[in-house]
Amino acid sequence: MTQGNNGSPDFERTASFINAVRERIATVVVGQDVVVERLLISLFTGGHILLQGVPGIAKTLLAATLSKALDLEFARVQFTIDLLPSDIVGSEVLDQRTNEFRTHMGPIFTNLLLADEINRAAPKVQSALLEAMQERKVTIGSESFALPAPFLVIATQNPVEQAGTFELPEAQLDRFMLLHRLEYPKPDEEREVLRRNALLGIQRADRGAIVRTEFDVIDDTPVGSSEEITAAMEAVNQVHVSETFLEHVVELVNRTRTHEAIELGGSPRAGIALIKASRARALIHGRSYVIPEDLFDLAEDAVLHRLRLRYEALAEGRTTAGLLEEMLSGMGATPMPARA
Amino acid sequence: MAALLLTILLACAAPQDERSSPVGVPAWIRDLVLPGSELVVAPADFTAPIVLRIDEVYAHGDSFRYDLVYYGLDPGTFDLGDFLKRRDGSSAEDLPPIAVEISSVLPPGQIMPNTLNAGQVPGVGGYELTLWIGGALWLAGLVAILALGRKRRGEHGDAGERTVTLAERLRPLVEQAMAGTLSQEDRAQLELMLIAFWRRKLGLEDAGAVASLARLKEHEEAGPLLRQLEDWLHRPQPAADVDLNELLAPYRDLPADALEPVKGGP
Repeated sequence: MTQGNNGSPDFERTASFINAVRERIATVVVGQDVVVERLLISLFTGGHILLQGVPGIAKTLLAATLSKALDLEFARVQFTIDLLPSDIVGSEVLDQRTNEFRTHMGPIFTNLLLADEINRAAPKVQSALLEAMQERKVTIGSESFALPAPFLVIATQNPVEQAGTFELPEAQLDRFMLLHRLEYPKPDEEREVLRRNALLGIQRADRGAIVRTEFDVIDDTPVGSSEEITAAMEAVNQVHVSETFLEHVVELVNRTRTHEAIELGGSPRAGIALIKASRARALIHGRSYVIPEDLFDLAEDAVLHRLRLRYEALAEGRTTAGLLEEMLSGMGATPMPARA
Repeated sequence: MAALLLTILLACAAPQDERSSPVGVPAWIRDLVLPGSELVVAPADFTAPIVLRIDEVYAHGDSFRYDLVYYGLDPGTFDLGDFLKRRDGSSAEDLPPIAVEISSVLPPGQIMPNTLNAGQVPGVGGYELTLWIGGALWLAGLVAILALGRKRRGEHGDAGERTVTLAERLRPLVEQAMAGTLSQEDRAQLELMLIAFWRRKLGLEDAGAVASLARLKEHEEAGPLLRQLEDWLHRPQPAADVDLNELLAPYRDLPADALEPVKGGP
């Protein structure tokens, strides 16, 4: 189906760039290979990613390390209940010296924005961010400003503390290309985290000293640049997607729409996200074509957050994750339902 | 009148103490005083014409008084003394004759029962022969059915062989996939059905789709065809030189319907 352009992509160069990024991140963040892969997928496909996990599993550190490794501007916004849309996108302020309005750019004007605990902000703030994510431009006063490129939003939300939060509805979640569920590090990785942390020590500052953190050991020297990212994005677009793979994607999305326990199935955007993400994953794994493994691996992150269960299924204790695994296993094992 | 009625009633109520009775009908002799020591019934065999029982014995001075019950089996006149003996073993020849007459209700001279009417004549050979014939017919029918089935299978022998094994069923599909002539939907279904089949066969259904697929591709039996299909179906320039027989070798001993999807499910 998709052959890309006729020029042969420099897959080797891209592969070495990706490896360099992963190695750089590994010097600071222990494990989390899958998360790093998902971040790169988001970056290379121009999608955005929502990380769901408990606090303290290096989400911010990961984003900061990635931005430095790629020489990207990085901004972090801690979402709270009293946050205003203008706190993110910016506003017009009156310059008393010139008596004219001056545009104050918000933190959204960056390459890599970490929207920490996005579900703590009011819906109007969430909407402002999500609109900007989709349109890649913001309007301040009467003037529109394009967001810088590349532009990647890494949003996080805590699945445990729900009091005082505003849960993102499925329509808003649909704007995120991927929703990745972070897990605690494995015992080996956790030992390494503790070992590294114990060696951080302190550093002298002014007349005293401060405890060094993992952020202090991030190497400021970039291993890539916007050019490499652009090359990788071009390479992703040249990854071959077969008609057979398309059939698999259509079947999976169709199954989510016809399952009796699911009220809201995958949107066409789910299929698009699966294809885009699969192409980027194929590139990261050194392939110039996608295979079913890409689909199976990314299905949870690309599709799950777009599904909504029926009340009866919730009452029975069923989960979207369980149903998705059931559907993936059912592909080829059970007859495909009639197309929706 | 009252005296007459009383006499009739007494006559009816009194036991039959007559010395004459029909064959098989019991009769009694009561208060019969016989001289000498006590008498008992002598043992008799089945040919005895009289069956005798002493009902009661009473002391009667230096003698005894008896209530006797008897019934005859043959007509004629008999002496009941012949069927008695002394309890103390002494001779009973001094007994007076106790004659009884047993009469018959049958006409004189008839000694056989009435002749029976002849029934229906049974089938030739009887029930056993009928069973044998039935069994033989059943066996012949069975043999005929088996022979007919074998003949039909023989007539369609070549067509049947093509779908005997899964390898034979897969071969045309795989050949079309290799040539790129298989329809898109069939390509997708073929790949997914093979993945699902091997997951079932190797018990990887609970291992998760991603982990299962990775293991299947490394598996010595499942791996070759799955990897090759991946190459044919997804790679822009797939490899051309492939030994199809080798790829289909793991499917040679499997039934043709092993790939069939399970009914129902998600």
